[in-house]
Amino acid sequence: MDIQLKRGLLDVCILAAIKSEDSYGYKIIKDMKPYIEMSESTLYTILKRLESEDMLTVQTAEHCGRLRKYYHITDAGLRRIENFKDEWKEIMSIYRFITKEDK
Amino acid sequence: MNKQEFLIRLRKGLQGLPQNDIEERLTFYNEMIDDRMEEGVTEEEAVSGIGTVDEIVSQIVAETSLSKLVKEKVRPKRALRVWEIVLLTLGSPIWLSLLLAVFAVIFAVYITVWSVIVALWAAELALAVGAFCGVLSSVILIVQVNVIAGIAMIGAGIACAGLSIFLFFGCKETTKGLLFLTKKMISGIKSIFIGRRMENE
Repeated sequence: MDIQLKRGLLDVCILAAIKSEDSYGYKIIKDMKPYIEMSESTLYTILKRLESEDMLTVQTAEHCGRLRKYYHITDAGLRRIENFKDEWKEIMSIYRFITKEDK
Repeated sequence: MNKQEFLIRLRKGLQGLPQNDIEERLTFYNEMIDDRMEEGVTEEEAVSGIGTVDEIVSQIVAETSLSKLVKEKVRPKRALRVWEIVLLTLGSPIWLSLLLAVFAVIFAVYITVWSVIVALWAAELALAVGAFCGVLSSVILIVQVNVIAGIAMIGAGIACAGLSIFLFFGCKETTKGLLFLTKKMISGIKSIFIGRRMENE
């Protein structure tokens, strides 16, 4: 997939991965893997950015005798997903325009 | 490579970033490796699944702004002593002008690169305009002045058109090359500030 396109999608994908319940780094990558792949470094960068934009909060909790960071989506993060859905409708209409001739 | 080795190498490679940035990243990779191992893979496999230290470092360098790296480099590791402040102040005519000179050189290289690009495209534009006007004015010449001059003008116009098409591809490639070169230059400057190359890789 085109890098620019993927970059735009990753933010929303990560928010979607923590939408239903708090999640941690490795689980986010694993949950997304069937759909979109990314490296640990990329995940770190995006998580940092989403945190600074108040899209998510971070809590450290104990797990099996070690510490693990859990990411929790905020209202702003949920709104971001909703905005994406609206944008996607526009993209779909553009897609139909692009593929109009193929039929 | 086991987890400990990986983290030590990564710490070395990231030397030059703010200390709490390094700690936070190491904690993150530590957790990632632990989580992988919890799934049943061996420590070695978990580490190699993360990628090589060099790859990770170069990605981080690319994402970190040059100003952040410079700021971290010049930030004193402890409070300055009085005599150091005095020396710095007294020496400022020297080091300040040297620093300015370094930035002036970097700036000059940028200007030079961009001048070349602008000049090339200006020449390209001039040729294209020349071709267009040459052909156009030849029509006027043929109708109003004389046929020979008109034909000569057509020739000149077509020659311009040919050259401009030829030059267009040259311009495109040169621009691409120069932009690539400046990108390389920035990452080269950044690498002065960050990490130490690992000898036994």
